[in-house]
This record gives sequence, C-alpha cells and structure tokens, in this order.
Amino acid sequence: MTQEQDADVLVIGSGASGAALSKRLSDHGAKVLCLEQGDWVDRARLPKSHVDWEVRGRRHWAANPNVRRWPADYPVGSEGQDPVDVYMYNAVGGSQVGFAGNYWRMAPSDFRVQTLDGVGVDWPLTYGDLAPYYAINDAEVGVAGLAGDPCGPEREPLPNPPAPLGRPGELLVNAYEKLGWYWWPTEQAITTKAYRGRPACDNRGWCTFGCPQGSLSTADLTYWPGALQNGVELRTNARVREVVVGPDGRAVGARYYDQDGVIREARAPVVVVACGGLGTPRLLMLSSSSAHPDGLANSSGLVGKNLMVHVQSFAVGLFDDPVDGWNGTWGGTVSTRQFYETDPARGYARGFIMSGCRGWSPLNLALQIAPWGSGHHAAFDAHINHEISIYMCGEDLPEESNRVELDWNHMDGFGMPGVRTYHALNENSLRLGKDMIAHGRQVLDAAGAVSVRDFGLAPIWGWHLLGTARMGTDPKTSVADSFNRAHDVPNLFIVDGSSMPTSAGVNPSATIQALALRCADHIWERRRDWTVS
Amino acid sequence: MAYDRKQGGHQIAQANRPDYRLEVGRAEVPVGEARGFAVLDPARAATLRAWSATLIPAGDGRPDAGEVGAAEYIDATVLKVPSLRPALLHALDALERAAAAKAHRPFAECPVDERERMLREFQAADDSDAFSMISDFTYEAYYGHPRVLAALETETGWRGTAPMTGSEMAPFDENALARVRKLPPRYRILPPKQTVGPIRAKPARKGMHK
Repeated sequence: MTQEQDADVLVIGSGASGAALSKRLSDHGAKVLCLEQGDWVDRARLPKSHVDWEVRGRRHWAANPNVRRWPADYPVGSEGQDPVDVYMYNAVGGSQVGFAGNYWRMAPSDFRVQTLDGVGVDWPLTYGDLAPYYAINDAEVGVAGLAGDPCGPEREPLPNPPAPLGRPGELLVNAYEKLGWYWWPTEQAITTKAYRGRPACDNRGWCTFGCPQGSLSTADLTYWPGALQNGVELRTNARVREVVVGPDGRAVGARYYDQDGVIREARAPVVVVACGGLGTPRLLMLSSSSAHPDGLANSSGLVGKNLMVHVQSFAVGLFDDPVDGWNGTWGGTVSTRQFYETDPARGYARGFIMSGCRGWSPLNLALQIAPWGSGHHAAFDAHINHEISIYMCGEDLPEESNRVELDWNHMDGFGMPGVRTYHALNENSLRLGKDMIAHGRQVLDAAGAVSVRDFGLAPIWGWHLLGTARMGTDPKTSVADSFNRAHDVPNLFIVDGSSMPTSAGVNPSATIQALALRCADHIWERRRDWTVS
Repeated sequence: MAYDRKQGGHQIAQANRPDYRLEVGRAEVPVGEARGFAVLDPARAATLRAWSATLIPAGDGRPDAGEVGAAEYIDATVLKVPSLRPALLHALDALERAAAAKAHRPFAECPVDERERMLREFQAADDSDAFSMISDFTYEAYYGHPRVLAALETETGWRGTAPMTGSEMAPFDENALARVRKLPPRYRILPPKQTVGPIRAKPARKGMHK
C-alpha cells in the first residue's frame, strides 16, 4: 500500500460542493487533493451533441445509476411507501452534470422552521451567515437572474441577466398578473451572456441532457478549471473505500481503489467528505471501526437518516395556439413564491415554489400521451408545441424513517456495497403536495389552457438527495456542527446536501455550494488547528 | 432521463427476468445509422419490421417506424444486451404463431388493421414485458430519427433541430415586472440573531500561508 501525505486538505468528491470547496481553499493558498470516483464527462458524448439526444438520455446518460451503470456507479435500491427514483451522476462535477440549472437561494425562514412553524429542526446558522457566500457563489457560477424579487431579502445585482420569457413565460406572466400573484424571472445557473470564458446560452434547451457549448454552469466548468489552475490535484477514478481514523480519533486520510483496482491511501490533516446525499452516508457507514462500530461520525445514529427529496410534481397545460415550446432554457421562464411561506389556513406547514418550464420534447411526449397504432399521430399532433409545464417543488420535512442503508446484496464494480433508500411522504407532505398541484393547475387555467394534466406525486424524483448527515448544534441530534465539522471527528467535514437539516422548498445546488464556500473559509481561518502547512 | 415518465425503475432489478428499462443503459445505439440485422434471421426481421410499422404507422407526411429502421435499431440493442434476446425472440415467434392460426399467413403480410388487432390481443395477453420493450424501443428509434424530426418541423412547427443549432437569446423585458415591483415584501423578516461564528466572507487572497 502506498502512503502519501501530500495535501493540506483531502476532499472526497468533486461535485457541486467538493469543487466549490477545493477552489475556495486553493484560492487562499491551501494545498488540496480531491479524490473523485468517476471521471471527466466526455463532452463529445453529451446527449445534446447528437440529434438523437433524447434516446441517448435514456441510455448511457440515464440519470438513474441503475440504468446508466457507468464504472463508478454503485447500485441504488428504492423502497418504502413512496420510493425514490434516484437521479445522480458519479463524475467530475457530480450530479450537476445532469442538472437543469434552477438555482435558488433559500429564504430566511427556511433556517428557522422549528422556531417559526414547529416542524423539522432549525439550522445552526442563519440566512445572514450564508448570504455572503451565496454572493461569492453567484459570481463564480455566473448566475442569471434579477435582483429585487420581493419574495426574498435585498441582494446585490446578479452577474448575468435573466433568460427571456419566451411564449411559455408570457402565458404564465399573463396568468400571474390575472391572479394578482407574485412572480419573478427564475434564477438559473446559466450564462445568458458570455461570462468568464464561457459563451452565452443560445436557447438549445433541454439542459439536463448536457450543454455542449458550456453555458450551463456545471461544476466541471465553473469551479474546476480555476481549482486546477490553482494547483489542486484531482485524482479521478479513485473509489474511496473508507476514511481512515488514527488512534487519537482524528481522520488521517482515506483508502481508495485506483482505476486499476489497486488500494491506495491518501493522507491529509483535514478530510472533507463531499459525496452527496447517498454517497456521504455510504462512505461514513463503510468507515466503521471498533471505535466507530455504527459508522464514522455516527454517535448520534443519524448518519443515513432523515433523507429528504422534496415534494415534486408537474402540471401541464394544453393550449390552442403554438407555444414555441422548443425554444429556450428548459428550467426557467418565470417562477412564483406566492405560496412559499407557511400559511396555517392552507392546512400544512411550509410551502412550495412553482417554476415555469417549456414544452415536452417529442420522444418524451410521445411516451406520455401518444398511444401506439392508428391514432398515434393525431394524439401526438394535438399536444406537440401546444403544451407548457410548471415544475412544482415543496418542502419535504425530515423523518428518521426516511433513510439510506448499505445494501450488501448489491455490490459495485469494486466489491463495495450499494445503498438502499426508504422513503414515504408524511401527512404534511401529502397535504402540501395536493395543494401545490391544485395551484399549478390554477395557474395554467388562468393562462388559458384548454385542458390541464398533472403528474401527481409519483414517482418521487430523486434529484435532490438531502439531510442524511445533518448539521446542528447538539451532537445527539446532528452529525456535523454549524461549520460542517463532524461532531465526533474534529478534523472531518461534511459539506454536501447531506448536511442540510431541512430541505426548504427550492432546488438546493446554490445552498450546497454556498455552504461549501463557507466551510472552506472556516477551514482556512482555523488552519492552525489542523496544522495546515 | 430526468423528466421521463416511462423509464424510472424504482427497484434494482430483482425479477426473474431482466428488466429492459434497466438493461438499456448498456446499449448506446445511435439512431438513424444505416445497419442491417445481426441477431434476427430474415423471417423474424420481417415480423419485427411489420410490428414496429404497426405501432407507429405512416401519416401526415411522416414515415412509418419500419421505414426509419426501428427493427434494425431494436436488433442492434439486443445485440449489445444479449439478456434481452429471449424475450424478443419469444415474442416474435408467439406473434407469428397467432398470425398463422388466425390469418393463415405471416404477420408481415396481413393488412394493417388486422396487424393492429393481433398486436392488441398480444399486448393484452403479454406477461413477459416484451410488448412494452418493443414499443418503447420503437418510439426511441422513431423520435430520434432525423427524417422524423424534419417532418415534425414541417408538419407541427416543432424545431427538433433547435438543440443542435440554437438561436440568439433575446433580452428579458423588465417592463413586465412593473406591478410586482410595487408589491410589499413577501417573506418572513426575522429578528436579528447573532451569527454563529466570526467569519465574514471576503475575497480569497493567496499567500496567506504562515
């Protein structure tokens, strides 16, 4: 076994948070080594580099790792009353390589849900603590949007302007104006003008199928080029088997299989786990030892618990006139936080956002609504380019019974166990979801749709995998402290979505990356504690 | 893919037979490439071509699925995923047996309405998942094909080439926000609370090593 002591900070995982943290630390001057179990995405194989992009998106680019089965993927099982259809990527950039770019800040109340609404738990930090890091992240990512939204605190101007409304957005704006509701252009991690060497978005749409021109702000394009330029060492195809802890209880590094399957060890005075809502609890549980029999950093018993995925659905409106649904960024026309804050009159705690999208692409639409046989084309033609959709996302409160466990019956390609998720929507989520869908339908009715359909609350889309190693002030009820440091291991940090105590009701990427930047500054400020060089 | 309502398998495949929805991740088969048959013999190939053409027939200036190589695409898929071959072969043979018994001729030689009727009967009785597999793969081959996408643009205005070609992004019209800008704040403004640590974000500066 080769032993190394070659970095100030060892980061495990190169996704949204690992990339942001590595870049920030290296900006300060720290020496960073990052281990990534996957590889760089071959941009020539991005689905949207090809005219049959929809088909490629269902096969080698499938967001479900059980379908895609890239070499770095591990099996993910789904059980429970409302099983999660897990969507994640194991690659440089992590799951951002397949995201739509919806990029929200949480609201101040999201950090105080127990105090304000008597549900979930409070975060151990405030919106004010995180706001400066949201701003730094906005600049790094090149977020598109517009300051001044009355549904959020005042903020600095965004680096890029919002994407245009397009016909779908105009229809939704007309509806919101008719209803008298709040609305605002959706913030997106998309460069709507040329920004820091990346080109302006040119409306190719269907962002989750890859952005060949690089306007979608995935971590492999935003943080990693600068991090590498700073000297960060990124080792790909490095599947970490366990975090190694010394006799003094401090993490000393990690053991990993290199691309040839040979075990290696990397050492550093600070170790950061950034493997996502499933990968982080998986690694912590795999790192059990006599000192940590239930998994590393798990004296609370909460590693893997409180899995949250958001309450989500789509409502789809059918319109008489064409809607140019093929034109523009997929995940962003306009959004509303009209129902984001708790209103007891609605009969549930917390709230949701609604975000306008465009139409459905041909294959996806045909699979949804066009039956085979003689009636196929008539059914298809009645919908194609005549539909717009609204994505709805609500808060999924933490429940210990919603969890991630190791699955020793299904192994990855290196003999390490997969995971199995268990998830059920609680009563609050069911009520929220029902109300959310009703309001989505209301908007489309107001927009003039001749009919509206919705997707209900199943399947549970597992894009946002959160809460499985949560932050908190009490080591008995949380895994990490307010700066993402594990309560049980003084030099171990957990900085991905697993650290989020509650899910809020918005897409989490911006928050995950802001938390990582804040953690990076904390590590740097306290570097004497870690004997960073 | 992410917004796909037809794909998401909620379980790791544990059934006795392979689940094509999971297995296809290993079959990267470009649509529209000229190819012949590698797995199917000529008779079964003819049956599959007629099958796919019945699922998506010609119409409104659009070809049927057989014309754009759906059968060859399915063949290429099972070439890469051998575990799916038994379901395909058994389904084709079962359909031919039904055609022989009911129409006294090969399925491919039956008129389209008779083919559709036989396929509906097959679908109703199919407990092997083969019908769904052939149907899904046929849809993929059809709606990924450049000839079909070109026809869609002509017939429906849907620009299937937009993801490849793009277009210049227009500016956002802020005038539309005039009413909303005048609305009062709609978020809970919380009382000031002490922050949890001394850190104040500032631009990172290099050369801070002790």
